[in-house]
Amino acid sequence: MTNAFLIVVTLASLVTLALKCAFIEGQQYFKLPQWFTDSLEFVPPAVLCALVIPGIFQGNIGLVNAFGPVVIDPKPIAACVAAITFFTTKKTIPTLIAGMASLYVVYWLQI
Amino acid sequence: MLPLLPGIVPFGLIAGFTPVSFGYTWIDSIMGSLLMFAGASQLAAYQLMDEGASLWIILMTVAAINLRYVLYSASIAPYLANANRASRLLAGYGLTDQIFAICQRDYPTHDWDLNERMAYYGGGTLVLWLLWQLCTLAGALVGQVIPVFWSLEFMIPLTFLALALNTLKTNAHRVTALTGAGVSFLGLELPYNLGLIFGGTLGMLAGVLFKRFCG
Repeated sequence: MTNAFLIVVTLASLVTLALKCAFIEGQQYFKLPQWFTDSLEFVPPAVLCALVIPGIFQGNIGLVNAFGPVVIDPKPIAACVAAITFFTTKKTIPTLIAGMASLYVVYWLQI
Repeated sequence: MLPLLPGIVPFGLIAGFTPVSFGYTWIDSIMGSLLMFAGASQLAAYQLMDEGASLWIILMTVAAINLRYVLYSASIAPYLANANRASRLLAGYGLTDQIFAICQRDYPTHDWDLNERMAYYGGGTLVLWLLWQLCTLAGALVGQVIPVFWSLEFMIPLTFLALALNTLKTNAHRVTALTGAGVSFLGLELPYNLGLIFGGTLGMLAGVLFKRFCG
């Protein structure tokens, strides 16, 4: 086991549990303001989209680490293909397959 | 509940595989799933650890991704109000998108007493929890033998992308997403992953303002 990993995961799990129990356990003690609960619906799209960006535009994929860099980064193109696939199918698995397949193809075309 | 289960299989496999692909052990991966039991925030925490983000950035991101549970918790709390503390804490630990979806649908339409509501919640959670842990274990074990050039770590942003696109139900959500992504992109070079924090915060703010003035 890796101590640093476990420390981070343990603290993250406490944060997660606190949020999950916020009302189930704490309903007798406090009430959140309406404006706050109204704004919660916008948290997932804001955070998830913000989180996607570094994964697409930063860092090297395993292909680059194994076989060397290419001129055009295949990640943004693969992400676009994945997004189009999601809008077409509304399903996660085809989105992942299309994204990964296009990642391989765009890399392969450049070597 | 059963129709919701197949969807978590690939996500569980990725959640199990990801820490292993970043050089952690399969036991670390299992511990992550056992302790957190919250897929998207698990992946976010793993990705940020790999990027060398500071602890507070990781915890803030986990909190931001999991803020929706406050909403779920508020919605379900009245139905579990008279349960004992241990049951309430266990219910909190087991709260997921899927459990929320079925309880939100079925609690108001059934005249169940507390024991029946807890049994419904507990049964669904147990099935989901077992499947999630099994998928994580499978992903962690398989992850040890997958070659690095398969680049499966790229499935994390793709998974987040699918999750993000699935939330775009109104124009306010689309404005939120575009703002979050745009600010995050502009802030890519900022230290401490601040682009992510600014993107999440300003994205949410844009959504609230759009809904208030244009929605």
